[in-house]
Parts: sequence; structure tokens; C-alpha cells
Amino acid sequence: MEIEDREEIGGYTLLRYSWESAIEPGQFAMARVAGYPVTFDPFLARPFSYYDHDSETASLLFEVRGRGTALLDDARDRIEVSAPLGRGFRIDESRGPAALLGGGIGVAPLKILSRRLNALGVCHDVFLGFADTRYAAVAEDFPGASVATVDGSAGIHGTVLDAVPDLERYEAVYACGPNPMLAAVKRAVGDRVICQLSVEERMGCGNGSCNGCVVPVRDGGYVRSCVEGPVFDAEMLAW
Amino acid sequence: MKNDLQTLQLAIELCGIALETPLIPASGTMSKEALGEVAGVYGAILPKTTTPKERAGNPPPRIAETPAGMVNSIGLQNPGIEKFLEGLDDFDLGVPIFVSVAGDAVDEFVALCDCLAGDDRISAVELNLSCPNVEHGGLTFCAGPTSVEEVIGACRAAYPGKPLFAKLTNEGVVANAIAAEESGADALTVINTIPALTIDPESQSVLVRGGLSGPAIKPVALRAVYDVSRAVNIPVIASGGVSTGTDVAEFMLAGATVVQVGTISFVREPGEILREFSEYLDRMGTTASELTGAL
Repeated sequence: MEIEDREEIGGYTLLRYSWESAIEPGQFAMARVAGYPVTFDPFLARPFSYYDHDSETASLLFEVRGRGTALLDDARDRIEVSAPLGRGFRIDESRGPAALLGGGIGVAPLKILSRRLNALGVCHDVFLGFADTRYAAVAEDFPGASVATVDGSAGIHGTVLDAVPDLERYEAVYACGPNPMLAAVKRAVGDRVICQLSVEERMGCGNGSCNGCVVPVRDGGYVRSCVEGPVFDAEMLAW
Repeated sequence: MKNDLQTLQLAIELCGIALETPLIPASGTMSKEALGEVAGVYGAILPKTTTPKERAGNPPPRIAETPAGMVNSIGLQNPGIEKFLEGLDDFDLGVPIFVSVAGDAVDEFVALCDCLAGDDRISAVELNLSCPNVEHGGLTFCAGPTSVEEVIGACRAAYPGKPLFAKLTNEGVVANAIAAEESGADALTVINTIPALTIDPESQSVLVRGGLSGPAIKPVALRAVYDVSRAVNIPVIASGGVSTGTDVAEFMLAGATVVQVGTISFVREPGEILREFSEYLDRMGTTASELTGAL
């Protein structure tokens, strides 16, 4: 894919490329630098939730965490990106208002989800938690969002859950972030409303083959986050 | 899609089974969900290893990327032989189906072979001998020739009339290969992943203790295929680090009859590897069946 546009937002990088086919909010793509397989190192592609899609342009938001993401961050012309993968959020249009909770790079799928909820006319609020003000800069792309930072340098001092004044009023909660955050969201929400969690897992193949990206489920055993997820009903997970 | 010339060029025979191409998936690297990408590419289908009972597999993290490869410790997650057979038709792409099995004890391997012996959908069984044998203190079934002979001899009796493959680890591979041939194996899959470890220096803990696969292990696998194919008179199925069409050619030159495509399929379409291999054959003016052991 040709990179149409590249932008640095706070501590994150946003890459836009032309993509017209449908993308469900919460789905992800496997991405890597172009030129493979000349370099087998890093070996695997990286999974990223779609950040946004406007019927012509798709975008990926990511944080440089290692060599794979550093190379993607250096890319200026082309990257290799898969088609949309996995199961995204299952939106029940009749259930509103909805709360969207994102932690760190977990804010990524909330942009495209918010766009979809707007199109469906589902009333919703966005709550974003970050380590510090540098990362919180991406919240400018979420008008009206409430922000919390762990160090208190922007918004409310605390976690994303501290930014939600009244969780009880929501009939649906959609969240993405580190697994401990998602576990906390699940505990806070309880089982009275729809609660869907997009998990962050290390992935190998992205197509269900390697069984590397599993999460533990309530009934015992594990399921693959790339095929059965990455968005799960909270009640299904053994956290 | 292949034209007639390519069909002739790529066709190969393995233990009396006609294969349209010399590529097959390595066990544990191709899910039902990925089948759509491999129609017309693989000469046979080889689903993930099945055990007698369902296995949940190991807790995550299960994989860690390494230079030109990855270390995995999946723990043979699978639904068990009964459910596996119920879903086997999903793997029907019109090419032969080989089934990979593993057990904790010789009796479990035998029970699996019993289950599969009468199933017409299955063309061959591959014994995954890299798992620990609980009857021998947790050493794997590949611990040595005696262990290999015991399990293959028992499976041979339980699975008569159709090809039986033994998948061997790299350590001691030649001695184990000779033992496998003598105890009735029809072909040998060489090699499985190589024991490996990754450590996270930040948390100062073990990340994944498992098996290394991917391009990094290709020279090791190539040596094993080369040595084994000179020590036995049965076909060798190469497995380990294949990532390009010329890799396929190298393994066949080293003595392999067919070549398994594994970890690379996580990052490349297997069809690209077949296309490259076909181009290699064009360039050399040869065919897959002429290539085996042509060194």
C-alpha cells in the first residue's frame, strides 16, 4: 500500500492509505514494511486495530514499541497491509447511551467505532486514559472526549475508569487497552450491560493458524484473539 | 492456477500417493480459516496435530519473535481426535489429507492409529514424536532408537496398509531415522522445531521456552535432510525454515521428496513459494520429480 499521509500525534504515528472495502470497527490489519522477504528480521507482521476509515482511506495508529514498529514508523512510501481481519465490535443499535473506553494505544479502534455509532445514531461518550500528556495529545482527535493521565499531566489524575463519572448510566461499554485495564473495566461494569473488550495480544500469523495469540476463556481453555476476537464479550473472558 | 505444463512439472509421488505439487503444510501452521489461501498450492493437507483428548494448550505468552524466526510453545492445543474427525471434511480441498497425531504414551499413539485406520478420507498418518513420553520420565519419543522403534512398531501394527510417516527432531536424527525405517515407517519428516528460549531483559523473566522455527533453522534442517536421505531408503519429507521457491529446490536436491511449508506461511502466501519453485524448474529445465536427490 502506498502511504498517502503520515502524521505524528503525541506519542503515536498515524498512517493513512487508500482502502475502499468495508472495515468493521474493532477489526485489525497485519502490517509490516515493504521489501520483505529480503529482510527476515523482524520476521512477523504486526497487528494494528484500524483507527479510522472513511470509505476511501483507512488509517492505522501505532506506538513505536520495538524494531518492527520502528521500521514502520520510518516508512515513507509503502507498507504491506493485510485485508481486515478478526471479529470487531457487535453493535446493538437499540442499546444506548454507550461508553467507549480506551487506554494508551487502545484508543485506536474507538475512532472508527465512534464514527459508526454516529452513523447509526447511537448516543455515546468517549473516555481516554494515557500515561502522560504527550500521549494524551491524540485526544484532540476525539472531540468531547474525557481524558485521564496516570501522572496527572493532562485531564483527570488517574486511570480511564476514573474519568467516567457515572458508569451506571450506560447500556453498552466498548473498551480497548492493556489487558489489566480491560479486566478492571469488566469488574467495574459487571454483567448488567453489554460489555465488549478488544484485547491486545502478541500475534504470529493473524489468520488463526499459529494459536499464538490466545486468551483464557471462562469455560476453560483458550481461544484465538485473531479469529474469535480481537473483540470479545467480557463475560466470555476468564479475567 | 496451474497450466498443463506446470501440472506435469510439479507432480510428485510420495509412498504411492500422487500429489499435484511437492508442497504440503507443516502440522500446526495452517488453520481451517487459512484454507482459502492454499487451494491449488499444496499437494496434500496436513492439519494441526491431534491428541486422544482435548488439550487446552499452554498459557500465554506462547510465541516470541526471533531473528528470522520465532519460538513457540503452543502445547498442542486441539479439540481431541473425536471432534477433529467430525470436522475433518472442512479440510477437503480435493487433495489427499495427512493426519498428524501425538500422544503421551505408546498406547495413546496406538489408540489414535486405531481411530484413523478405517477412515477412507485419510491418506496417511504422521506421528509427531517430539512430545514427552510420560512412561519414560518425560523424555520425548525421539530420545533414541529404542524409543522410536517401540512407538513406530506399535503404530505400524495398528495402522496397516497405508503410509505411516514419522516426524523426527534434529537431535540424533540419523540414528532415529534408521530405527524408524527398520520398524516400519514409510517416510520420515525431518525436522521438528529446535529447542530454544527467549528472555525478556526488561522484566528479567523467561518469555517463551519452546521450539524455534522459521528461516533461521533452514541450514540445520537442510543438513538433517541431506544426512538422513543418505542413511535410509524411504522418502524424506523436509520441514524446517523453507521460505522461498529456491529453498524448496535446495531441500529436494538434498534428498527430500516433498517439502513442508510452515512458519513462513504466517508472513508469505504459500502460493508465492510454489510460483518461485515453478520458475526455478523452468529456469533449470527440470521437473520436481527429477530434482529429488539430484545432487
